[in-house]
Amino acid sequence: MPANKKYLTKSPWQRLIKISAGFVGGYILTEAFHMALLQWWNTPDALITLRFFGFILWATLMIFAFMAKNGIKIWGVYLLATAVLALLIYLT
Amino acid sequence: MANRVYNILFHTHTISGIIISAALYVIFFTGSITFLRDEINAWERNEPIREHYFKAINFDKALEVLAKDRRLYGRDLSFSHRYFEKRVGVSMTRSKDTTIQEPSGRGRRGNFFYMNMDTFEKKDYGSNYSLGEFFYRLHFFAQLNLFGRSGYFLAGLVAFFFLFAVLTGVIVHWKKIISSFYVFRPKAKWKTIWTDAHVALGMIGLPYQFMFAVTGAYLIIGYTVMLPPVQSLMFDDNPKKLQEAAQYEAPDDYPFKGENLEKEVSINQFMHQTTEKWPELQQHQLQIFNYGDKNMHIKVSGSPSFDDKLLGTGYLVFRAKDGTIIREKDPYSRTSYAEGATDLLKRLHFGDFGGYGMKLIYFALGLITCFVILSGVLIWLVARDRKNLPEHKRNFNTWLVRIYMAICLSLYPITAIIFVVVKLFADNYGDGRRDFIYNVFFWGWLLLSALFILKRNNHFTNKFSLLLGAILGIFVPISNGIVTGNWPWVAWQKGYSQIFVVDIFWLLLSTIALLVFFKLRKPKESSRAKKSSKAKLEISTN
Repeated sequence: MPANKKYLTKSPWQRLIKISAGFVGGYILTEAFHMALLQWWNTPDALITLRFFGFILWATLMIFAFMAKNGIKIWGVYLLATAVLALLIYLT
Repeated sequence: MANRVYNILFHTHTISGIIISAALYVIFFTGSITFLRDEINAWERNEPIREHYFKAINFDKALEVLAKDRRLYGRDLSFSHRYFEKRVGVSMTRSKDTTIQEPSGRGRRGNFFYMNMDTFEKKDYGSNYSLGEFFYRLHFFAQLNLFGRSGYFLAGLVAFFFLFAVLTGVIVHWKKIISSFYVFRPKAKWKTIWTDAHVALGMIGLPYQFMFAVTGAYLIIGYTVMLPPVQSLMFDDNPKKLQEAAQYEAPDDYPFKGENLEKEVSINQFMHQTTEKWPELQQHQLQIFNYGDKNMHIKVSGSPSFDDKLLGTGYLVFRAKDGTIIREKDPYSRTSYAEGATDLLKRLHFGDFGGYGMKLIYFALGLITCFVILSGVLIWLVARDRKNLPEHKRNFNTWLVRIYMAICLSLYPITAIIFVVVKLFADNYGDGRRDFIYNVFFWGWLLLSALFILKRNNHFTNKFSLLLGAILGIFVPISNGIVTGNWPWVAWQKGYSQIFVVDIFWLLLSTIALLVFFKLRKPKESSRAKKSSKAKLEISTN
C-alpha cells in the first residue's frame, strides 16, 4: 500500500529543490502576499490574517511545490510572484 | 486525479504524518486533558468557585491587604481572571513617583503573583503551580524550552505539519470520500481495520482537526514565525512599532500627576457600577492606573457570556477623582474583524462556546484524533510488513512503531498516577510542587515506556496501559474523597460542580477503558517481530 515509487521524485537534488521551494519559497510568498495586503487593507486586520491564514496559504503552497514536475520551475514561479508583489508594495 | 499526483501526495501525507505522529499524540492527549484545566485546579486545591466570582470580589479589602507590605501610591495594578479559579493573577508596576525607593531585586517576577480572593492569601508562581498548569504547558512543550523557545517552536512546527497532513489526507482521499466513510470491516485483516478506522474517524474529526491545526499554529507560533519579516521590512525592525500597529484599540495612557488624590475611592463601587450597566457581562479584568494619584483611573473589562454574544470584549474607564466614565466600549455592539478573529480563534481552540456538553464533545474528538494518529502509525507498520522489504528496514519499522506505541499509550496510566499522587502528597512540597510533578510524571512515563519497549509486544502495551489506567483512574475520586471528604455525591450536593466534573470524568474514562479492555481480542496476525522473538526463544530453549 505505500505510495508507488514509480511516481515519486527519484533524484535527491530535485527532492531537495522541491522541499525547499515549498517550505522556504512558500513561506516567502506567503509573507509577500500579506505584506501587499498590509498596504491596501488596514494594518491590524492584515496582521491578524497573516497570523492564522498564513499557515493555510503556506501549507497549500507546499502542496503545489510537491506536485510540480520540475523543482527549479516552481522556485521560479514562487520567486516571480514574490517579485510582482514586491513591486506592487513598492509602488503603493 | 492523476496517478502521479495521488502517489506524490500520498507519500507526503505518510512522511509528514509519521514524523510528527508521536509528538502530535502527546499534544492532543494532554491538550484534551487541558479542556478541564480550571476544573482540575479546583479539584487539586479543593477550591471550588462560585458563579460570577470576579464581580463579587471585595477589591477594597484586597488593596488594603496589598498595601500592608508595600506602598501602592503611583503604581499601575491589574487583577486578571484569565482562568476560572479563586486565585486571580495580580501584577503591579513600580511606582511612577521617582522619590519612592524600592528595594532592588524586585523584578517583573516579584511583581506578579496570585491572590486567593476569598482569603487574600498570596502565592507566587512556584507555590501556585498546579496539575492544570502542568498539562496546559505540556501540550505546547513548554518543558522543552531548553534553548530559548525551542519547545514552543517544536509544538508550532508539529501543528503546521499536522495542517499539511490534514490537507494532503483530504486530497488523497477525495475520490472515495463518501463511499469509504461507510466502510468498516472489523473482521478483516489488521491493515484493513486500521485503514478503515483511520479514514472514517479522520473524516468525522476533519473540521475539528483542521481547526486545531490552524488555531494551534496561530496561538503558539503565529507571532514568532509569521511576523518577523513584516517587522523588519515594514516597521523598521522596531517591535514596538509593530505592536502598536497590530493593536485594534487605542492604548490606555493616563499621565502620572504626582499629587495625592485627596479622597477615598472605593474600587468596589466602580465594579458595581459596571455590573449595573451590563448585568450579564462576565467581568474578567480590573486595572488601576496611577494608584492614589490625582490622575488615578480605573478600568473594568469583560466579555459577554458565549450564549449572549460569541465575540468581542468591552470595558468602562472611570476617572477616580470625580467618578465619571471617560471611556467606554460596549461589548454588545459591533465587533471589528481583527478583534472578532482573535476572539474566535481562542474560543474555538479552548472549546469555550458551549459549556460542559461542548467540552465533552471536544474531549471525545480529541481522543478520536489520538486514535487517528495511532492508526496511521499502525498502517505504516502493517503496510510495510512485506517479504520483499529488506530485513533492516522491516526491523526499523517494527522498532519505531513499538517505541511510538509505548510512549503514547503509557500516557493514560501515568496521567492517572499523577492525579492520585498529587492529591495525596503534593501539599507537602510547598514551593517545590513543580519539581515534584515533573519528577513523578516524567520519570514514571520513562519507566513505563521502557518496560513496554522491553516487553516488545504492542498488544500487551495496549491492553496493560488500558487496564492500569482504568484501575488507577478509579483511585482519582477515591483519593480525593479520602483527603478532602468531597466524595462525588458530597460535591454534587454542595454544588461543587468543578470537583464533581473531574471525579466523574475519571470514573467515566475508567468505565470505558475497562469495557474496551474486556472486548479486546488477541491479534490473529501476530506481528512478525513477535514471531521472530518467539522463534529465537525456541532456539535458545532448545
